[in-house]
This record gives sequence, structure tokens and C-alpha cells, in this order.
Amino acid sequence: MSDDTIEIGVKGLNFYYSGGTHALKKISLPVYKNSVTALIGPSGCGKTTLLRCFNRMHDLYPGNRYEGEIIFNEMDILSNDIDLIDLRSRIGMVFQKPTPFPMSIFDNIAYGLKLRGIRKRAELSESVEKALRHAALWDEAKDKLHSSAYDLSGGQQQRLVIARALAVEPEVLLFDEPTSALDPISTAKIEELAVTLKRDITIIIVTHNMQQAARISDRTGFLMLGELIEFDKTDIIFTSPSQKLTEDYITGRFG
Amino acid sequence: MRREKRRKIESYIALSLSTLAALFGLFWLIFILGDVLIEGIGALNPGLFINDPTPPGVEGGGLKNAFVGQLMITFFATLIGVPIGVLGGTFLAEYARGRMLARMISILSDIMVSVPSIVIGTFIYAILVRPVGHFNGWAGSVALAIIMVPVVLRTTEDMLSLVPWTLREAAFALGAPYYKVIIQVVYRGAAAGILTGILLSIARVAGETAPLLFTSFNNSFFSTNMNEPIASLTVTIFQYAMGPYDNWHAQAWAASLMITIFILMLTIFGRLIIRWRYGKR
Repeated sequence: MSDDTIEIGVKGLNFYYSGGTHALKKISLPVYKNSVTALIGPSGCGKTTLLRCFNRMHDLYPGNRYEGEIIFNEMDILSNDIDLIDLRSRIGMVFQKPTPFPMSIFDNIAYGLKLRGIRKRAELSESVEKALRHAALWDEAKDKLHSSAYDLSGGQQQRLVIARALAVEPEVLLFDEPTSALDPISTAKIEELAVTLKRDITIIIVTHNMQQAARISDRTGFLMLGELIEFDKTDIIFTSPSQKLTEDYITGRFG
Repeated sequence: MRREKRRKIESYIALSLSTLAALFGLFWLIFILGDVLIEGIGALNPGLFINDPTPPGVEGGGLKNAFVGQLMITFFATLIGVPIGVLGGTFLAEYARGRMLARMISILSDIMVSVPSIVIGTFIYAILVRPVGHFNGWAGSVALAIIMVPVVLRTTEDMLSLVPWTLREAAFALGAPYYKVIIQVVYRGAAAGILTGILLSIARVAGETAPLLFTSFNNSFFSTNMNEPIASLTVTIFQYAMGPYDNWHAQAWAASLMITIFILMLTIFGRLIIRWRYGKR
């Protein structure tokens, strides 16, 4: 079902935190276009660290260091002359806890567009509606676009944040445990959304929930102690993994 | 059994002592405020706000010059002190977060809050009054601004630190540069808190006398010239209360009442903002 072209290629990635911790060790993996790639592993294994390399989030904190390359659209994300603003509009991110800005629903979604210099009201309105529909929030939010984003429920806020990321039409969306703070119904909605979204974009998701990875992802990478133990199609990882460690983790023997 | 009884007695003694101490403090507070209220209301009349002072010993007259002067000094103090305080607090909370430098400035600023205001007054006297040759309104504003800066700076720093870090990351993840993240997202999240800090800092300086005594001094005539000595309510209260005339005393009471009400309103307004913004969630 999923396309077999590679959207992002990670090659020999090492990552060191400013304290010197070697958090990612020689990671290489392909991320396929229009598919959902899940990263799983026990706490502290480096899956979130890896996710945050794709949009160079680690650059916010001085002293962090990357080695290796991440190739996206024939350019190296980790190179120094990459335009971070451009990169981050092409690779969006959704966090563990909903992060609506202290402004109206409309302004939240228009934020990324305004950053890119779009000022025309009509154009903004059109994009906001499109993004909200895309994130399956339009019906719930259309009558209160100008009330505070904090008036929405947690699940709605998370979909708002997804809509905000979608508004700038990214090619890749990074999800960092997007449902760990949500109830089962909201979780189901976000999972459904992720599966729908992959028609247009590529998704990388970090999750603690192995059922979730099995339900929505096409490929899964299992990380432990900063190393990529195994990467394969999701059904293979969950039915016949080639590594003993993967099998032990999946069957719940540790983690 | 005996031990339990002893504990109960100890608890009773501690409770009685602390209640007494609270009542003692409260008594003086009510006494002072009540006195200001009673004497002040008796001395209030419209002429107080629309007339300038009459020569000593002549009945009538008002304190228009002092009201206007006080407003001007406080206004310019706010204009000077607030931007420095807010920008300084932003530096500490955002750009220098967690660094040694930020901690040092925070501690220094806490010390500044408790420096006696008369020390700041004499300091400004030495750098802005002596070289100019005469008292002037600007010196008064600068002295008050210096008292405001550490208050605004620390509140801004605290309020910005309360904005969750993930909110900033979310804005960065959309491609926003840091200054836009601060102005459009972080300030918005902390606006109510910062505004409250500003209001409370104005309330803090509005009642200051010592720094003005050495800087803007006083002026018996109506003046809006900040380059010259300018009247203020607090210095006028000081001067009138020490003077020998009964109508001076009455006007000092009225001025005390007005300034107390002004500070009370600023404080209540500040608290209301806090409750409205942070109370609900």
C-alpha cells in the first residue's frame, strides 16, 4: 500500500548531548514516502532524540552535536547552511502534550502562515478552514474560531496543533507520543487521522504504546540504548522479529 | 495521656501568641488607615484639586501643583523603568536562562529591591542634581525608575519562566525565529503577570518620599517643567505635616488619603488581573 520511494535517509547518525552523553549510535534507516514509520523502545532509548534530529530541535540548546547525515530532498538536514525556518515548515512537529498558543483558534492555525508572510485575510481564512478540515476539527471548531484555543478539550487541542502544523503544508510530520496525554476516544481519532494523513504526507511517530505502533504504522524501528536494534515492516517486527531483543521487548519481557 | 495534654497546652500557647501578634499588627494598620480616612475625608474639598497653594498662613488654596507633579514624575518614571525592567527580565528568562550571569543579576536585583530608597535618592542627587546645579523633575523620575526596575525585572523573569518550555518549542517547530517566539507567544502567555508586576511597581514608587526629597524637591507654584524643581504629593505631605499651619495639616491629611486610595486601587486592580487570568485554571 505504501509507496517505496525514500523520503528521508538517515545515514550513520551519531548524536551527543551537551553533557557528552552519546545518545544515538550509528543510526541508519530509511523513511518511506507516504507511510507511517513508528519508533519504539524502552524509556531513554533515544527514540525522541532521533525524532528531534529531523527538524533540528536540538539546535535550541547549545553544545548538542550531530555526526553523520540525514538526507531529505537531496540535501543534508544536518549541514550548517540549511535554512532552519524552511526546514521546519517542510517537516512539522506535534508534541506529547497539546501546545496551543495563548491566542484564538484561528490565530493559532494562521500563525505558521503569517510567519511565511501571508497577510491577506481571505487567503488565511481559506487555509485555516482547509487545515481544520484536514485535521477533522472543522465541525467542532467552525463556530468558535475566534475564541481562545484553551476552550477546547485536550483531544481537540491536539487536533488543533496538528491542524496548525498542516496549515503550512509540510511534507513530513513528526509525532512525539501524541496521544500519551489523551483519553481512548481522542486517541482513536488521532490514530485515524494519522492513517488518513499519509495519503498526502509522510509520518514519523514515537510511541510508548506498542499496540498503537502495530495499528497505524507501516514500518517500525526498535531502539535500545541509543542503537537501532531492528528496522522492518511493522507486521514482520510484530510477528517474526529477527532479533532476540526485539522479541523480548515486544512480548513484554522488559521495558 | 500526660504527653498529649502537654502538647495540647503547647499548641494552645503557640496559637494564642500568634493570634495576639496578628491582632497587634492589624490594630495599628486599622488605626493608621482609619485615622487617614477620617482626617482625610474631613479635609477633602473640590478646591484641593483645582487650586494651587496660597502663601503660608493664607486660608484656602489647594494642591493642584502637587497632583500634577506627582502624576508627571510617576508617569516618566514608568516610561523609563518599565522597558528596562521588562527587557532585562526577558534577557534573564530567555537568553541567559540558567547561566551564571542570569543568577548573579537576579540576586543583585533582589538586593536592589531592599536598598533603602533614600540611598537611591542621594545617589541620583550626586549624578543628576549636583552637576545640573539645581533640583529637577527628571532626577525624581530617574530615582523612582531605579526603584521600579528590579521589581519589574524580577516579576517579568518569574512570569516568563512560568510559560511552559514546550510552548516555545512548538513555535520553533513552526519555524519561528526566537524574537518572534518571545514577542508573539511567550509575552502573550505572560502578559497578565507582567502587567500586574508593572502596576505593583507603580504602587511601590507612588508612595516614595525620600528619593524625591533629594531630586525633584518641591515647588510651591504650578509647574510642568521637568527641568525645574516640581511638586509631588509625598514631599508636600512631608513639608505640610511639619509646618505650623492648621490648613497645611488638613491638606496633608487629604493628600495622604488620596495617595493611599491611589495605591490601594492599583494593588486591587493588580490582584484582580491575577485572579482573572490565573485563578480560573
